[in-house]
Amino acid sequence: MRLENRREHKLASHCHDLCSGPGGGLFAACFDGGIYSLDTAGGKHEKVAQHDNYASGVHWSAAQGQLVSGGYDGKLKWIDPSAEKRELRSVQAHEFWSWQSAISPDGNRVASSTGQYLCGGYKYEPAPEREPSIKVFDLASGELLHALSHVPPVESVAFSNDGKLLAAGNLMGEVRLWDLSGGAREIARWTTPDFTGWGIIKGHYYTGGIFSLTFAPDDSSLYAAGMGSTTDPAAGNGKQLWQRFTWNGDGGGEKVGAASDGEIGQGLMESLAFHPGGKFFAMAGRLFKGDWNTAIFDAESGSRVHHQNTEMRTSAALFSEDGKVLYLAGGKGQNKDPEKPADWGRLITFDVVID
Amino acid sequence: MSWSGLFGVPAFAEIAKRQQKHCILLWLCGGPSQFETWDPKPGTPTGGPFKSIPTKTPGVHFSELLPKCASISDKLAVIRSMKTGASEHTQGINLLQRGHQPRPPFTRPTLGSVLAQQLGQLENALPNFILLDPCPEGNEFKGFKAGNWAGWLGAEYAPVRVGGEFKIPDAQQLDSITGDDHEAREELRKFFSRKFANENRSAAAASYNATFERVKGLMSCAHLFDLERLPQADRERYGPGTFGQHALLARSLVEEGAPFVMVANGMPWDTHVFNHEVYQMVVPDLDNIIFQLTKDLEERGLLEDTLVVAMGEFGRTPWINQARGRDHYPNAWSLAMAGCGIQGGAVVGATDKNGVDVVESPFDEENLFATIFSALGIDPHAEFDLQGFPTFHHVENQADPIKEVLS
Repeated sequence: MRLENRREHKLASHCHDLCSGPGGGLFAACFDGGIYSLDTAGGKHEKVAQHDNYASGVHWSAAQGQLVSGGYDGKLKWIDPSAEKRELRSVQAHEFWSWQSAISPDGNRVASSTGQYLCGGYKYEPAPEREPSIKVFDLASGELLHALSHVPPVESVAFSNDGKLLAAGNLMGEVRLWDLSGGAREIARWTTPDFTGWGIIKGHYYTGGIFSLTFAPDDSSLYAAGMGSTTDPAAGNGKQLWQRFTWNGDGGGEKVGAASDGEIGQGLMESLAFHPGGKFFAMAGRLFKGDWNTAIFDAESGSRVHHQNTEMRTSAALFSEDGKVLYLAGGKGQNKDPEKPADWGRLITFDVVID
Repeated sequence: MSWSGLFGVPAFAEIAKRQQKHCILLWLCGGPSQFETWDPKPGTPTGGPFKSIPTKTPGVHFSELLPKCASISDKLAVIRSMKTGASEHTQGINLLQRGHQPRPPFTRPTLGSVLAQQLGQLENALPNFILLDPCPEGNEFKGFKAGNWAGWLGAEYAPVRVGGEFKIPDAQQLDSITGDDHEAREELRKFFSRKFANENRSAAAASYNATFERVKGLMSCAHLFDLERLPQADRERYGPGTFGQHALLARSLVEEGAPFVMVANGMPWDTHVFNHEVYQMVVPDLDNIIFQLTKDLEERGLLEDTLVVAMGEFGRTPWINQARGRDHYPNAWSLAMAGCGIQGGAVVGATDKNGVDVVESPFDEENLFATIFSALGIDPHAEFDLQGFPTFHHVENQADPIKEVLS
């Protein structure tokens, strides 16, 4: 697999999340709080909803014919982008940020993760949660279906492809896995020390965590992405990391794959996306040191088959439904003159070529 | 009766303690963001994800990460218009610790060393300059810590560094030596030392003497540095992290008469990466520490004689970089003070709507040091008593204190 024919579109602010809508259109969740309908051909992007803080997630439900978005205002919003009154419902899901949200593959449930990192110990271990760290809502009614516990902050959440499982990962590299069929039963939890760093060089606290989770196409394993451990939280110089886990009957997890040291550099990886064909996945984020911030990996062998440096921080990677296009959304650094037109967000589009 | 004996008389010691001025410096090394603390700009392109909240002071808002400080804003003074000239840590730390640009080959003493000289008491068993810093590392701050704190004042005014991994070692008198034996050995050492100094005119001997005096003092008060002796309820109130625990220790040491205690914790405020992800934790920690410290000092009748300063070496950029961080920014930043000589509720200076520049009452490190000295009753423009040196003042250039924050 290769990526060719790069196109770049400017957005007003950093794009945190991206989804495909009806007819292959795109929607973006941005730092200015806006949920935008993107016109990549014309370059004119229309705001369809507004959060009171950074927008962190956006998802299209074909079943409901609606968008649902999440934000650092702790809210989930139900949106009909074609209606005159677009915001259909707003739910205060959390007291703190919605770090990340995910929609079930059938389009009927949305999950959102939260949690403020507060000092809980001498070494600044995270304090226990003050509210449930993950909530699952019914998209049709807005009803809360499940409130699940974890150790905050919980930075990532994902449904399995059959919609039965829910996974969530936190700052400390702890993954919890629930079976949502017939309730919400925790079936496994495990911790990988590789995704979090305790500062030695500049400050004693934890940084990093698992920023993206995605299930393998057959739901037999779970992929996690983030940044490898670093002793200098101010540098952002941990490894560009993904790891693959399976879980077992006794409630634990086992690492069964990982990025090869020779194929990765340093920097925070924020997004994982499987190609619809199921044989490859993309990982993208920020480059600190090395020569790529976006790479394609062979799902079976784990080896890197292609890499690119898009020269931006990428927060979202998304393949088109037909697998012919890869969208990467994120942003450059913010303009140093805030009075200049805001255009630091970026959407980069590649054609996907499978040899 | 010797001076040390005089301080052993409870009534006299109590009077001396009450009249003693103190200063606690909460050193926020790395450069804390003004946007997530004292000068929030919610809803602007530079504001970040945290909102602002009203404070007890009408019309004044702090970051939502400082709710406890908002509730005692009438006891805090905030300067929102610091404009200094050093944008790198080593230069910034030196500037905000010494209050002046370098003038080689002379080394200006740090604030703590000057206050140790000015506020320290004769024969004080407790060190006059205590540095509590449980984080042994810290890049540029580590380099600074290894350097010359006391400058031309001499080693007598350098800090005693304690905290975390820096326990006071070997400060217990050996069981095999009686108190009388110990005193006799000390007298013998003093005799030879004086003889050596007189015959050789040795500055080194004077430094050794100062060190021995300090060790002797530390042996008598080493228990005061033990976190474990502090009441559990107090330890819980200050929060479990190293910064909170050592801020509590600072309060305890001030109660015991220490004139200057600096609490540092490495360089956690240097958030080039994950600014908002880190500040969601470190700012609430600071919020609680300032609140507890101010409340405790007030309840103990010590606030009016104790100046608390919370500051770093600069602020952070309005714009957010590609690594979701904020970088160094000396052009427009904030700090807070409370206690001795400070006008509670004062908010001085202002920045523009995006926090890019100071638009009202810019102040620099000289104004700040003049303010600190004035608040503590020290003439900011007095000359140092130095022989064979050019004339140096506590604060050069006749810089004015920030009168609006002085009570």
